[in-house]
Amino acid sequence: MGTSRNVERRTILKAAGATAATLGLAATTGCGGDSGSSADGTVTIRYAWWGADDRAERINKTIALFHKKYPKIKVTTDFQPYGDFWKKFNTQASGGNPPDVFQNAIGFLRKYDAKNVLLDLNAQVKAGNLSMDGFRAGLETFGEVDGKLLGVPVGSNSMALVIDKPVYTKAGVKPAQGWTWDDFHAAMEKIRDKTGRAGDSGMYGVMYLYDLFLRQNGKAFFTEDGLGFAEADLTDWWTKAKQGVEQGIYANAKKVAQVKPKSAVSAELAAGEFTWDNFTVRYTSEGKSEYGLAPIPTTDGKHTGQYLGSLMLSASKRTQHPKEVAQFIDFMVHEPEVAKIMGYDRGVPATQAQYDAFKPTDEVAKSIAAYEESLVSAGVLEKITPHPNGADICEAAFLRIAEELALGTRSVDEAVKQFFTESKTALSA
Amino acid sequence: MGTTVTHAPAMEGLTQDSEPRHGPVNSPRPAALKRRRRRENLAGYLFMSPWIAGFLLLTAGPMIASLYFAFTDYNLFDAPKWIGLDNFSEMFADPRWRHSVQVTLWYVVVGTPLKLLAALGVALLLAQKRRGQAFYRAAFYAPSLIGASVSIAIVWKAIFSDDAVVDRTQKLFGISAGGWTGDPELIIYSLVALTVWQFGAPMVIFLAGLKQVPRELYEAAEVDGAGTWRRFWNITLPMISPVLFFNVLLETIHSFQIFSSAYIVGGGAGGNACGPADGSMVYTCYLYVQGFENSRMGLASAMAWMLLVAVALVTAVLFWSQKRWVHYEEGAR
Repeated sequence: MGTSRNVERRTILKAAGATAATLGLAATTGCGGDSGSSADGTVTIRYAWWGADDRAERINKTIALFHKKYPKIKVTTDFQPYGDFWKKFNTQASGGNPPDVFQNAIGFLRKYDAKNVLLDLNAQVKAGNLSMDGFRAGLETFGEVDGKLLGVPVGSNSMALVIDKPVYTKAGVKPAQGWTWDDFHAAMEKIRDKTGRAGDSGMYGVMYLYDLFLRQNGKAFFTEDGLGFAEADLTDWWTKAKQGVEQGIYANAKKVAQVKPKSAVSAELAAGEFTWDNFTVRYTSEGKSEYGLAPIPTTDGKHTGQYLGSLMLSASKRTQHPKEVAQFIDFMVHEPEVAKIMGYDRGVPATQAQYDAFKPTDEVAKSIAAYEESLVSAGVLEKITPHPNGADICEAAFLRIAEELALGTRSVDEAVKQFFTESKTALSA
Repeated sequence: MGTTVTHAPAMEGLTQDSEPRHGPVNSPRPAALKRRRRRENLAGYLFMSPWIAGFLLLTAGPMIASLYFAFTDYNLFDAPKWIGLDNFSEMFADPRWRHSVQVTLWYVVVGTPLKLLAALGVALLLAQKRRGQAFYRAAFYAPSLIGASVSIAIVWKAIFSDDAVVDRTQKLFGISAGGWTGDPELIIYSLVALTVWQFGAPMVIFLAGLKQVPRELYEAAEVDGAGTWRRFWNITLPMISPVLFFNVLLETIHSFQIFSSAYIVGGGAGGNACGPADGSMVYTCYLYVQGFENSRMGLASAMAWMLLVAVALVTAVLFWSQKRWVHYEEGAR
């Protein structure tokens, strides 16, 4: 009996020990993810962005280049599509474990600044680890919020009308700088009648385009802390949209919904779409046709309300290696070789050195460069208006509710009311 | 983790304690037996401890935390702010929330009975002895194994799109409804079809139930001249009613929790999470949107608890109703 008891006890103790060990091990792996630096002085930083495989391939090449110059800084990477990226980022950041450096956009600057997530890079500029010289067209201030440098631009882009060129040619439509919304409407009808294809994919739901329309009329989508337009404005915009859907000048929303995440233009449901000019690169890899860029329609024949936007690189406040992160960003925005690899994937390079280093050879890249040059020479670029905390949620709601309108599940009045309710909640959070 | 460390020495003390008290008693057997049972219990708990730790840390802990968050305004970054019942009043006033309740109820009320009907029907066919029985059982069960996966949801989305299999088939019959996944009204039916297709799991349970029905009852009924329908209605159905109840309960609860298939067929990566015009926005989808897209964890927690209460109520009603239609064998209860 005595022996048997001992054996049993030992078994139990062993089991207990094993359990404790397993759990202990699990605990260590659980929090041992980001030690960051090792004995030989090598530092590891995490870099995350949104995009697709082709962007990942390019970025990995630039990182290999970075490793050559900075062998003591190791960069690990992570990427997702746009929507998933922000969900993951949000979760990581709230858990105190955001990537050290990541791709960012204007709609998220104030949001994550308010949440204390973004590192003010000014200190690193002063320390000489990051240069803010040599940026084109005043882009060096693009990532500034209340005097803090929260993002460094990597490439400029602007809203444009991306068109399926053969369809436009077939319909005999030639958009020119300064064309008006009436011209645009007539062109859409012409495309529908002559080619049987919808003229546009659904511009009424694109927040950044409505922003331009409002700016043409002395307003803007956002003010510092709220919406810059009234319910009556949006009722007008969406009433016309609903008529357009019914007349078939905008693509069938049912079909557009089904081809997602592919765009309606590359899926040949529409002849054009208002989006960022660098998206032409994506559409070209997605679709079979030839794609080009057309100017934004105007209200007064002159002002398009456009501004240069840009993707940015931001650093997180909790990074343990601000110096290395700053060196990494500096390399990515200034090194000419990086521009040769990236091309116009994230817009036209933000610094003059990178802009000069990449000479586009393919038609798509050439047309993007020409488009941005035409904006400068036409003198239509204006100052960007604010994007408050919550802008991203407003954008998603605007798109979704516009789609409901097009699908006929909401009347114009209901849609407007719903958008104002949701955006009020988002902007007051 | 803490429990495992403290328990081992505690057990030792326990055995020593009990020794002198029970030692001098005439028959030491009950005491020894008791000791032994205690030790065995303890060993049992120790072996369970990884699970218990997991349950406490990963399930119970977060659940209690979410109960607290349900009454707060919590955006993941700032400390939760107590706001009482505001989340609940906002929820009830939100037309999108009401819409998601409607979509979910529709899914449960249409999908669950259809799935159980299919399961019972096929189980009745497979209960009879015939060649290749094992193959058929496996074949009908297979969708249940793979049906919940992401890849099947993606395939499903493709099948129900414009100009795909379903669209072309319905065109043959002169129906030009287009693809279901782009239609706010029809998309929910593609999800219903997906759940009905996975009838294999309840089917297996029905099969087990059918095997339990005593042959003599059928033989007696046949002698009395009862037809197939009579035999089904008066013998099979009452005899398998406990199994039917179990399946109804399980599938109903399961249906309320639908998420991944709705999320993927409705859009998933790159699209709206909730289908065209929120057509497939089941309850958990909206919960996900509020929690992870809009960073409103307080509101999302309140929604989760609301769902729990609703499912508990439905379960209670089902249990209450079983008195009227579930027949347990004498003494088997």
